[in-house]
Amino acid sequence: MKKSNKLYAYLMSSPAMLVLTVLSIFPLLFVIYYSFTDYYYLSSGKPAFIALENYTDLFADQYFRQALWNTVKFTVLAVFFEVLVGLGMAVLINSVKHHQKLLRTVTLLPDLLPPVTVALMWQIMFSNNYGLFNNILGLFGLDPVNWLQDVGTAFYCILVIDIWQYAPFVFLLLYAALQSVPQDQYEAAAIDGANAWQRFTRITLPSISKNIIMVVLLRVIDTFRLFDKVNILTKGGPANSTATITQYIYQYVVKRNQIGYGSAATVIMTVIVLILACGYIRENFRKNSAQKG
Amino acid sequence: MKESTGSKAAKGVTLAILLIWTLFPIYWMFSLAIRKGDELTGALSFLPHSFSMEHFIDLFENKGFGTALVNSLQVTCISLAISLVFGLCCAYILARARFQFKMKGPELFWVLLIRVLPPIAFALPLYIMFSNAGMLSTKVPIILAHCLINVPFIIWFMITFFENLPVSVEESAAVDGATESQLFGRIVLPQVLPGIAAVGILSFMTSWNEYLYGVIFVQSPSNFTIPLTLATLNSEQELAQWGNIAAGGIVSLIPIAIFVMIAQNFLIAGLSNGAVKE
Amino acid sequence: MFKRSLALLLSGLMLTGAMAGCGGSKPSEQDTGAAGSDSAQSTTDPIKLTIAARGGTHVDVINSVLPAFESENNCKVEVLGLEADDLKQKVALDSKNAKGAYDLCMIDDPVMPEFCDTGVLLDLTAEGYKEDADFVKASLDIGKYPYAEGDVYALPFAGNVTLLFYNQDVLDSVGAKAPDNWTDVLNIAKQVNGKDGKVGYVIRGQQGNPIVGDYMPILWAYGGDIFDKDWNVTVDSAEAKAALQMYMDLLANGANYEKNDIVSAVSDGKAAMSLGWPSWYISGGAATASYARIPGKVDASSTDQPSGVIGNWMMGVTANTQNKDLAIKLLEYLTSAETQKSAADVGAVPTRTSVFQDTELSAKYPFYATLLDATENSRVRPRTPLWSQIEEAYGIELSNAIAGQKDIDTALADAKAQIEKIVK
Repeated sequence: MKKSNKLYAYLMSSPAMLVLTVLSIFPLLFVIYYSFTDYYYLSSGKPAFIALENYTDLFADQYFRQALWNTVKFTVLAVFFEVLVGLGMAVLINSVKHHQKLLRTVTLLPDLLPPVTVALMWQIMFSNNYGLFNNILGLFGLDPVNWLQDVGTAFYCILVIDIWQYAPFVFLLLYAALQSVPQDQYEAAAIDGANAWQRFTRITLPSISKNIIMVVLLRVIDTFRLFDKVNILTKGGPANSTATITQYIYQYVVKRNQIGYGSAATVIMTVIVLILACGYIRENFRKNSAQKG
Repeated sequence: MKESTGSKAAKGVTLAILLIWTLFPIYWMFSLAIRKGDELTGALSFLPHSFSMEHFIDLFENKGFGTALVNSLQVTCISLAISLVFGLCCAYILARARFQFKMKGPELFWVLLIRVLPPIAFALPLYIMFSNAGMLSTKVPIILAHCLINVPFIIWFMITFFENLPVSVEESAAVDGATESQLFGRIVLPQVLPGIAAVGILSFMTSWNEYLYGVIFVQSPSNFTIPLTLATLNSEQELAQWGNIAAGGIVSLIPIAIFVMIAQNFLIAGLSNGAVKE
Repeated sequence: MFKRSLALLLSGLMLTGAMAGCGGSKPSEQDTGAAGSDSAQSTTDPIKLTIAARGGTHVDVINSVLPAFESENNCKVEVLGLEADDLKQKVALDSKNAKGAYDLCMIDDPVMPEFCDTGVLLDLTAEGYKEDADFVKASLDIGKYPYAEGDVYALPFAGNVTLLFYNQDVLDSVGAKAPDNWTDVLNIAKQVNGKDGKVGYVIRGQQGNPIVGDYMPILWAYGGDIFDKDWNVTVDSAEAKAALQMYMDLLANGANYEKNDIVSAVSDGKAAMSLGWPSWYISGGAATASYARIPGKVDASSTDQPSGVIGNWMMGVTANTQNKDLAIKLLEYLTSAETQKSAADVGAVPTRTSVFQDTELSAKYPFYATLLDATENSRVRPRTPLWSQIEEAYGIELSNAIAGQKDIDTALADAKAQIEKIVK
């Protein structure tokens, strides 16, 4: 079995690897290479090699630093609350005895909607003309708030929308993970007199901790790309308080065809996310090789 | 494990809050979609005062939603089927310690790296690639791009599901003379069905709502997908047509909600398999 | 059993995809089938032209006039409607291919310098195109490169210029008439604001393109500009500071809304005045608010400056089209007086004097006269390929100012530094 084992492993993993490699090797080299040039897509001349100039310019650009900081801050807050809410939803719905199937479908809905539609629906609710939220404030005699255009609130509005939309994502993956937690452990714990909180911290959390780490990682990767909502609702404003890295890259790559500069920003963004992800990878590698013997 | 009335009530209240939080914006979308056009300017009432299907009809008659639905289904289903088959096979190999080969470490890293790459910058080199290959007039580039997004996602998430499975089951089956493919197909896959259902749903969703690659690769209105069609309903240059936008959201939601309801049945299937509880 | 259910799921997916494919190809087969059977007999395949257009009304307008052209020239025209940023990117990307996928494209007017400079567009004059004096001069000038002087690269497809929109009832309630200078605008705003929950003046202060487009008319009315004649950055001139102060005074006596809210607020009398693009307020012949040319004076005694922002949508032929002659013919057809007249009901806004002044149409669409007058008295945003970059930086700093993050002097000095860095 040992010999066929290796062949089998290659056979099973190669289709995916082939697709991924064929599709990404050129783009990857392209982005890395041109990040060292002043490539302007529409220019008729050849892009000139400018070494690290794009990178130094980027770090010197206060708008980029602002976008970077906004993105990091947003990611930390959004992922924290999404996992918290998502985990709560998963445990709650998993414990409900009736209509579980219906509840699952319904709670997933925000995640299924197209991002454009989501952003626009919230825009109507946040509107400071006839928006719903301001109407509610008005009922309590409070002054209207210019939710999406006030420096104090715009960032948090986007955050709320993001949590609304992606907590269900966390919910689904953790809910699926909960299904494989063996029931007999709970029964044993109940006999030992453990209360609900103890059962949660001693059995549920340890059993799905790997899945939680994975969900955090996936959310970090995706949240770092925050763009749609910002582009539709605030365009990075007010006072650049909602500008994100992807929006910054969008300005250069999509709107201005400055491929060189945009590529450099992309490389920086990718490296940051990789560093964040590294902890997980190392863990995985260690475990994989530990089991080797 | 009997629940006290107190905790039952607390649970009920939490559930109610959760449902309101989740569903209110969706109610809002629905209520805008079914209002007559002239009710959509100025102050919007909480409850609709009129009922009309005019926005839905307009979408299908004038905005090409019919074609877009068909295209979206095609692209999403084909790319999801490919991604699931490739992704599951690969994830299993990467998750199991008994498969040891030189490329394993690099493969793991490679998959992660691709998941991390931001589409916004990689769309351009991919465009150049597909353009040189003369494939831009077909749907192949979009399908492949969706695979590029979903395969790493599936691999990554399924690795944890495979790892959570005790190897003892496979070992005892192997002693009984089961081949590797029998192990994978008959023993392992059934036990991770909840995971498969979950990543299936999320991959379907990603693919269904994907915009960035779609808009760069599309060359003809006959290849438009739903998100591309939705995007043209909103622009800085024209006033938003709330009715159409909301109705578009509903139309876009229906196929994916149906898929979720079907795939849901697998979410708990793993439990009924007694083998897990060893 | 589980394997089977999984297999079932997968084959179900494949099947759905395949069925969707069949369903999808059927209508297109019918489309080409009809044309295809003709061509099979006549052996001349109909030429296929593709127009990259901005999604929305423009696509409806083009589609409404295509059938006549298609049957006359034995060709098939496909219109790809895209969001504005995507449109620009796609046209730019395709311009580097030897064989262009698009034969005609629409261009937002600030993009013209970049696309002409980099050879995206075909030089129409070099192809024998003769200038048509019927186009409003301000519009035709945008299509020339260098601006107003060089060869024609694109023709004005849709007219557009910002106007002052106001609510007549609200103005009546304070005994005011439509203002023609900014001091009056501010005075009216002061009188209206806060009375019965009303809003005086609404700015469109979203960072980026909105705030820049909303502030520039005031900057111009004050005699300021972004560059002087020698391309020195003048965003921090005394005039510019006074204009920004006025802009912020208006905000203090009003509100900051996003465009959809602006239109509904002014239309139903919640707000008194705002600037805006006509297409937001006017559909068909009916306008939901009163409108006038944007005030070009600081106060009653100052000189009148052209102050409306012109924002025409242009249409050109791509340099890498495979059907040059037919594409030019289609461009002339789509911008002809006949087309503009017949498509007026679908929402086309003219760019030709003869259509603006057509008695039948101007009776039906009373805003034509104001629009023509405003277009003739409009200004263009600086003609530089770097405009989108400048607009972004400028927008951030203006947003900093109105959000109170920076005072006027700092914000404008920072804007100057940023813009100088861009044009260096």
